[in-house]
Amino acid sequence: MIQLKHILSVAVTALMLVTGSAFAAGQLSVKVLDKQGEALPGAAVWLTGQGLAEDQKVLTHQYKMGQKNRTFTPHLLIVPKQAEISFPNYDSILHHVYSFSPAKTFEFKLYRDQPQALTFSTTGAVELGCNIHDWMLGYILVVDSTHFAVTNADGVAHISLPVEQLKHVELKVWHEGFMDLDKPESRQLSVIRSGEQLKVQLQQTLGMFQDDFSDEFDDYE
Amino acid sequence: MSLMTMNKPFHWLTLAGFSALLSTAVQAKNIQYKGVVQANWQNSSDYASWYDRGVSVNRFGTESERLNLSRAAVDLRTELGSKWSLLASAQYVPDPDSKLGFTELFAQYHTLNKGPWQWQGRIGGFYPRMSLENPDIGWSSPYNYSYSAINAWLGEEIRTFGTEVSFKRSDSRLPRRQRSGHNWELVGALYKGNDPAGTLLAWRGWAVHDRQSVFNEAIPFAPIYALKAPPLAKQAWRTEPFTEVDGRFGYYIGAHWDYQKRHTVRLYWYDNNGDPSIVNYQTGQYAWDTKFYSAAYRFKITRATHLVMQAMGGNTAMGKRRGVDNDFSSQFVLLTHKWLDYRVSGRVEQFNVKDRDFWDFDPNTSEGGAVTLTGRWQVTDHWHVGMEFQYLESKVANRADFKLPTRQTEQLWRVSGELRF
Repeated sequence: MIQLKHILSVAVTALMLVTGSAFAAGQLSVKVLDKQGEALPGAAVWLTGQGLAEDQKVLTHQYKMGQKNRTFTPHLLIVPKQAEISFPNYDSILHHVYSFSPAKTFEFKLYRDQPQALTFSTTGAVELGCNIHDWMLGYILVVDSTHFAVTNADGVAHISLPVEQLKHVELKVWHEGFMDLDKPESRQLSVIRSGEQLKVQLQQTLGMFQDDFSDEFDDYE
Repeated sequence: MSLMTMNKPFHWLTLAGFSALLSTAVQAKNIQYKGVVQANWQNSSDYASWYDRGVSVNRFGTESERLNLSRAAVDLRTELGSKWSLLASAQYVPDPDSKLGFTELFAQYHTLNKGPWQWQGRIGGFYPRMSLENPDIGWSSPYNYSYSAINAWLGEEIRTFGTEVSFKRSDSRLPRRQRSGHNWELVGALYKGNDPAGTLLAWRGWAVHDRQSVFNEAIPFAPIYALKAPPLAKQAWRTEPFTEVDGRFGYYIGAHWDYQKRHTVRLYWYDNNGDPSIVNYQTGQYAWDTKFYSAAYRFKITRATHLVMQAMGGNTAMGKRRGVDNDFSSQFVLLTHKWLDYRVSGRVEQFNVKDRDFWDFDPNTSEGGAVTLTGRWQVTDHWHVGMEFQYLESKVANRADFKLPTRQTEQLWRVSGELRF
């Protein structure tokens, strides 16, 4: 009986997903490729243009940049200008989060269950570090848009579109491996349609030094 | 208890530490703590441990084959503004006579600045960071229950009471595209105290255990005949390793380097700059002239399998004409693997003390080695259990004083349960 219920619920969910994506009228898919033509996960993609109305839900969303197991989660958070972000610490240990980026300079020590919050009113990339755990690195990207997404493991970002068709929009792409973190790459698009699948290849080579082997025993550095 | 027997500076430091921590804890909820309570059972050794005046070089000696609370330890940290923190490690151990105290208590200064260069400082009582075997709560090892002879000795006879300054370059503080993978740090420290360090190596030899000393500790050892001879009659049958005897400053310097946190090297030179002719008649403690190097290396072969190695060598001497003069050295190799919630670790080590003086009535020669295998299981976040087998062999010349064979081999089983909070 329980098994039958389980199968039913899985089937219903699957059906909803299929119909959901088939009728997702307001969505644009962007596949980001690096200069070598490989799919690029972790890239931020957003749209700007006069025809784009602000999405109020995106503006008032409760954004969170957490710290869990000595990493920033999410690693990259993209938010609209004026967004308020809280910084919950899910670890039992203290973190000392800081940024020296021009878009937002701040520092605070964060205890578990005592989050601090900040409003981000300048666009640009905010690079986060922890003064106790040197290897922790995270990004907040503040953009002049409410239509954005981060590419998934296949390098694809799904951006919601308020209308079926839009003219004269600018598509911007950003990645933490860029030479200048405050210079996103951009494309002028004369027209985009809902359901369309775009491909964007980056013009610059990414500087991506691989992750290190930090673990909990590197705390005592 | 310990407060009665400790000498004055430690008395005040300990009291000041407890009151500072208590008042901070009362005022603020901003105190971070990590703690562990460990109980264990170990099969019995043939002889009593050094602190029970015996000749065994393992911690529990004949006081085992029953469930013991082996250690309760807590690491505390509280912030004093944006640049300063107060850190403490306190422990309770039942052996030999219930002792509560600090193993570390210091204020830490940490600059916050843009870019990879940083100054750090520590003031108080703390361990030099020369080891890679002891990164867990209260400077314990996450690998084997008993530390290597090197770190067992650092835990019982070495502590810095003074100030340490370091300058470091953290590559990981750079944006990812600017990284090279190389991090390094230069360390220098000036301190008082720690004059009797070396006493246990001379008269007991190296030992393999996890019994760290607290600030005010006095550690007894077997009543060897040499201390009844006139030249050594002023020496007490115990050491107070962290005390100041000669009034001189000691120092250490060190260098840390790592590549991607995968290859880590730490090199240290430690010199307590003791004047071996000075003795405190009241406490029966000499200043030993103790200097040594330590070289540690860790290689994370994979994220789950790590290799840790350390070598130490040096010299320690006491008496006006360096009547007790010994070279000491030890090395270990440790391989550890973590799989799901299980960790297995194996360590092989050897150690020796070479007697270089001509006082025949005081033989200090000793040598030995150990193989230690440990399996640990994190049953939950809070409950950990594990088992350890150790083959320990040691040969200590002055055991002849007690009409005992100088060579001892022991096969020790230890079962351990921990509550972490």
